[in-house]
Amino acid sequence: MIAQQLVNGTMLGAIYVLVAVAFTLAIGVLNFLNFSIPGLFMVGGMGTWILMRLGWHWSVAIGGALLAAALIALCVERLAYRRSQKSDPEVPLVSSLGFLVLLENLVLATVGSDQQPFPALVPDFNLRIGGLVIGAAQIISLVIAVCLVVWLSIMLRKTSLGRQIRGVAENRDTAILLGVDVGRLVPQLFVFSALFTALGGVLFALNYLQVSAFMGEGIGFKGIAAMIIGGMGSVWGAVLGGLLIGLTEVLSISYIGADFVNITVYGLLLVLLILRPQGLLGRAAAREKL
Amino acid sequence: MSAAPALTLDHLGKAFGGLRVLRDLSFTVRAQEPTALIGPNGAGKTTVFNLVSGVYAPSEGRILLGERDITHMPSRRRIAVGLSRSFQNIRLMSHLTVIENLIVGQHVRASGLLDLVKPFRLVPNHRWRREAIDALAECGLEAYADESVSALPYGIRKRIDLVRATLAGASLLMLDEPAAGLNPTETNAMRAHLELLKKRGVTLLIVEHDMHFVDQVCERVIVLNFGEKIAEGTLAEVQRDPQVRSAYLGDEAA
Amino acid sequence: MSGYQTGLLVILSFNVIAAYAVYLPLSAGQLNLGIAGFMAMGAYTAAYLSNELAWPLTAAIPAGAAASCLLALVVAVPILRTHGIYLALATFALGQVITAVFLNLEVVGAAAGYQVTTFTGPATVIAGAAGVLAFMLLLSRTRFALYLTAIKSDPTVADLMGINVRGMQIAAFAIGAAIAGLGGGLYGHHFSFVEAQHFSVALSVYTVLYVLLGGTQTVFGPLVGAAFFTLLPELLRASQGWRYVFFALFIIGFMATRPQGLITADLLRVFRRSRRAPEAAQP
Ligand SMILES: Nc1ncnc2c1ncn2[C@@H]1O[C@H](COP(=O)(O)OP(=O)(O)OP(=O)(O)O)[C@@H](O)[C@H]1O
Ligand SMILES: [Mg+2]
Repeated sequence: MIAQQLVNGTMLGAIYVLVAVAFTLAIGVLNFLNFSIPGLFMVGGMGTWILMRLGWHWSVAIGGALLAAALIALCVERLAYRRSQKSDPEVPLVSSLGFLVLLENLVLATVGSDQQPFPALVPDFNLRIGGLVIGAAQIISLVIAVCLVVWLSIMLRKTSLGRQIRGVAENRDTAILLGVDVGRLVPQLFVFSALFTALGGVLFALNYLQVSAFMGEGIGFKGIAAMIIGGMGSVWGAVLGGLLIGLTEVLSISYIGADFVNITVYGLLLVLLILRPQGLLGRAAAREKL
Repeated sequence: MSAAPALTLDHLGKAFGGLRVLRDLSFTVRAQEPTALIGPNGAGKTTVFNLVSGVYAPSEGRILLGERDITHMPSRRRIAVGLSRSFQNIRLMSHLTVIENLIVGQHVRASGLLDLVKPFRLVPNHRWRREAIDALAECGLEAYADESVSALPYGIRKRIDLVRATLAGASLLMLDEPAAGLNPTETNAMRAHLELLKKRGVTLLIVEHDMHFVDQVCERVIVLNFGEKIAEGTLAEVQRDPQVRSAYLGDEAA
Repeated sequence: MSGYQTGLLVILSFNVIAAYAVYLPLSAGQLNLGIAGFMAMGAYTAAYLSNELAWPLTAAIPAGAAASCLLALVVAVPILRTHGIYLALATFALGQVITAVFLNLEVVGAAAGYQVTTFTGPATVIAGAAGVLAFMLLLSRTRFALYLTAIKSDPTVADLMGINVRGMQIAAFAIGAAIAGLGGGLYGHHFSFVEAQHFSVALSVYTVLYVLLGGTQTVFGPLVGAAFFTLLPELLRASQGWRYVFFALFIIGFMATRPQGLITADLLRVFRRSRRAPEAAQP
């Protein structure tokens, strides 16, 4: 039934939104395709699971996992981003990929490659409207995702930090001339980006009740697709892209077949990149000046 | 004096968005008559070069190279019909060595498919390499042949940029501030180099702020201000022009 | 040679082939993040031709490379309209789509994988890699290779020099795809099995990773990078489950301290000079 699929797609989309926002902050502002983001997504879900198994209360465990993700993001900034500013544009991409490999294999070496069952933290409560069934975890995810995105968009527009971020995204050199302390701003951005994606990982665990070392890859890569479809660097674009990808995925699973998901999702991405590379809500890149 | 036009701009205009950078600009550069294009900062001199070389398309007007209308010719084909240029901020290819940059500069004379895929660098002292070394040697730069360009001093890079621009065998050479940033010795070397090119029949169009240099190298001067031509003639003539004095030499005249 | 060593050499060969497939367009500044898709194209085409049409190996594998090259030519025109990060992501998406199509293609076994009846030994694979290496060494001595680097440095100036920038980029992209297709064809025939899942994002991005590890400034970089990537995990074998952790730490540390890669143009120049004038090598 299509209405139910639309609901499920939107809920899945909410998780993609968080990941896409994480990517869009890194790309839109820093022009950095940060491949460690799928790893941080996993740190969110897996970290919570590990800390809870150590006997921590779930709320502390989530906080601990988010903190871990933020700290790792600071390492990524230091070692992958900052060090390779002057080299070829592909270099930071590769070293951030090194972090993804590192995180996945750390978990692999300690926890193993199996899917681990994640305890149901949210009471098994279903909202029924007409024929629709909406789980409590789904509602919580959607609410958190929406709140975060709204907060981010207000922060970017209203606060001085937000204005600085937008200034750097617009033109890094001018922003530096105008006195923006990029050395401080960039690590903050990395932390924001990490928090968004790690929270996505937590919500994923809450919804699907399982975590694994590689849980970040599929979601993370589709998060990239969501970001591009919406338009790199645009927060609301990431929202639109995330929801579109979520819906496309759920609808193609139920109407075409699970194996077709990658064809539809990445096919959509490919077509869009060719027809409108700046994405649905993005602006065309400025032309090089001689 | 030969009167054949080498380059003609015909009512050329260029706007970037709402900003009109050039308007109704017409002038002719005669073959083998070294010409200078001068004007205050932001007058639109580099933009003229960008339009003529095809980096940007003009908003209006025509560009003729000799008799030929090249207004809509793709930028890549213009060097083959005899047009070559240098850049205000030297643009040598930083990933390549000096000699490799020069070999890239020879492209129009070696653009067949066979030239493209021949592993000529297996041949010691291949004709192409020798030719590039000879061009360097002419201005005493051969010692730098195998250096990476990014490590070289500014003055050397500037002259290598010039050598590269000449290697295509173009008949019209446009140089954007060739003497800027050079010390007196380097300026002299640059001038000697340009004299050599003149002797070979190359037509020079030069953007330059150093009036002494312009006086020594060029026979005719065209003055731009705010994208419009305000004077044309010998350097002495334009320097007497009241409009030029107020616009360009304003502070000195005052 | 022991079976273990031969096995390692075969893996190295596949990695070298993949490395050059990525390197060629990358030397013109184009990052292909979907190289696995082109390998899949070569692998499935070659396997299909030798299975169903009984083509001999010597025809099927080159045909796989040609098919991959053809696919690249078809998609190059729209895809190479994008630049920089957009291009990288477009190739990324393309790789995913190609692999997903094979995952659903019933004639080649879909998700169950595709058995390849003809087998080819390690010698062919190693010869294939040697051939690719020789080809790349020759190519690196041509104007074409110089132009690719020129385009990477400054496409605007390359264009004004009269170089057909788009044409060169398309050629580099397509030849790279052909090399990937060749690697794919050899892969399928060596392991007698092709499955779409093998040609994953991970395969694509790991290849890019070791190419950059080796360095993209010279033609030797990918070779060294592939060797490193093949051998380092073996050296770390003693650490068992932790070996990829150490490997990742190594990559991060390495890229942070030497982002230009292991082999650079300057390094080679120093080497050549000291060979030319051995007496002057002592500083
Ligand atoms: N691509 C562009 N987009 C927008 N404006 C441009 C562009 N290129 C040039 N301009 C503007 O056009 C005007 C003329 O620039 P141009 O570079 O031609 O000046 P110029 O005479 O070469 O100056 P200078 O002596 O400083 O080199 C300037 O106001 C400049 O800002
Ligand atoms: Mg200028």
